[in-house]
Amino acid sequence: MSGHISVENVRKIYQTGKDSVEAVSGASFVANDGEFVAILGPSGCGKSTLLMMCGGLESITSGKITIGGTPVTGPRASVGVMFQDSTLLPWKTVRENILFPARIQHRTLQDVGPRADELIELVGLGGFADKKPHQLSGGMRQRVAICRALVTDPDILLMDEPFSALDAMTRDEMNDALLDIWDKYRKTGLFVTHSIREAVYLADRVLVMTRRPATVVADVRIPFGRDRDQSISSTPEFTELCAYLRNMIDQERIPGRSVRRVKAA
Amino acid sequence: MSEISLPRSTSPRNPRISDASLSVLLPVGLAVFVLVAWQIGAKVSGISPVILPAPSDILASYNGIVGDLAHQSVATGSEAFFAFFLSCFFGLITALVLSSSVILFETFYPNLVVFQIIPKIALAPLFTFWLGIGATSRLSYAVFISFFPVALATMTGLSRADAGALRLCRAAGATRWQTFFHVQIPYSLPYFFSGAKVAATLSIIGIVIGEFISANEGLGYFILRAQSYGQTSKIFAALSVLCGLGLLLYVLPVQGERMLRKWWRGS
Repeated sequence: MSGHISVENVRKIYQTGKDSVEAVSGASFVANDGEFVAILGPSGCGKSTLLMMCGGLESITSGKITIGGTPVTGPRASVGVMFQDSTLLPWKTVRENILFPARIQHRTLQDVGPRADELIELVGLGGFADKKPHQLSGGMRQRVAICRALVTDPDILLMDEPFSALDAMTRDEMNDALLDIWDKYRKTGLFVTHSIREAVYLADRVLVMTRRPATVVADVRIPFGRDRDQSISSTPEFTELCAYLRNMIDQERIPGRSVRRVKAA
Repeated sequence: MSEISLPRSTSPRNPRISDASLSVLLPVGLAVFVLVAWQIGAKVSGISPVILPAPSDILASYNGIVGDLAHQSVATGSEAFFAFFLSCFFGLITALVLSSSVILFETFYPNLVVFQIIPKIALAPLFTFWLGIGATSRLSYAVFISFFPVALATMTGLSRADAGALRLCRAAGATRWQTFFHVQIPYSLPYFFSGAKVAATLSIIGIVIGEFISANEGLGYFILRAQSYGQTSKIFAALSVLCGLGLLLYVLPVQGERMLRKWWRGS
């Protein structure tokens, strides 16, 4: 239950001088404990804002977000966050970067050290624990960021387009790494992306968001089990699901079209 | 896991100048060209060596004054070094204190920026008036002018820590102080060193100006004395020693920067 996220009719209005911009308009959804939910939408549609509100990093204008039953008022230790940028501290080694949140939260090295080493091995950074970020490739840096988000063993992992800055091949690799991690440590995951393929490949459910002001217009269940690999991406179901989601996003782009709530499969 | 080739550090240098020796040859070549042109110009034009001595005249004038110059250099150099050290120390402390609170920062930062604009050279006589004609007034003045760039640069650096890193701290639930120590201070160090480079130059300027106003030793005093005797080539000799002192002092923050880069990039 501690990984349960509930978002009820949440709005976000940015006030810039006299202008106010509505970034998120009445979004509602639920992510169950241990579920991997992708939030799919066009760039700049407010989906990142919604994610940051779940993480307590953005204030909520109206509506309610609860995690594990308690309302979100600020960042909490039970939520790990991954950003689009790996944001590693350049003077710290891979291991020190991974241990950074644990250090901030005054966790002892005996407590989190073994877990950090386990994560380093799991994402294939074995020989790189003492390297500096400057010596790593973009994909390796994001692997460090995954480990860092997981080192304090949070119940929830929020991911804000974490692989969008990577090239296509590295991105596929990272998706597989993330699947492996999900196999081992079952968390509740919220994954923001504008890649339909990535959303279908990773998630148990895909939420489709409209352009600004953003709201959730569809909640699509993905029928693949957790033990999936790249071979599913060549199945007809996968292609069909992608086409279905593509079609839905395209329709949203046309002004005047009514917003339909769709439940699939 | 197999060894993966690490990304090469990219040189900020113009890619057209790919040959490393060229980047040494070109500036050295220009310096030699200017010296040769100066030598020939001074000799051919017939300008009196009292107005513009040729480089060879300056070299010749070292003869017999090396001991004196060395003595004066030690006086100026040690005071300048001390002033540089103090201004870095006080600049850093001031920046840390004033950046520790938003109210302090907002109160002081704009005032410091405005104060920085005052031509502080004009204040040198005041220091003599307040603190007498000894080393104290020279040192205080040199620290006074070279302290500002360090304090301002460090404050700027502390306020410009990487936005992503600050967000990371917030997500991890870091306190203000944790963010300050773990992220803001390390990110301000490059700014501190660029401030220290300016301070290295200014602290020598401060000491020499102090010596112009009141001193019975030091290179500034030496220059004034040579001027009163019309010994232009000695002035140039002292100037070249001052250049050397400036370089020596400048090497310190540059070396600091190099160590910082090594720390950030790994060995």
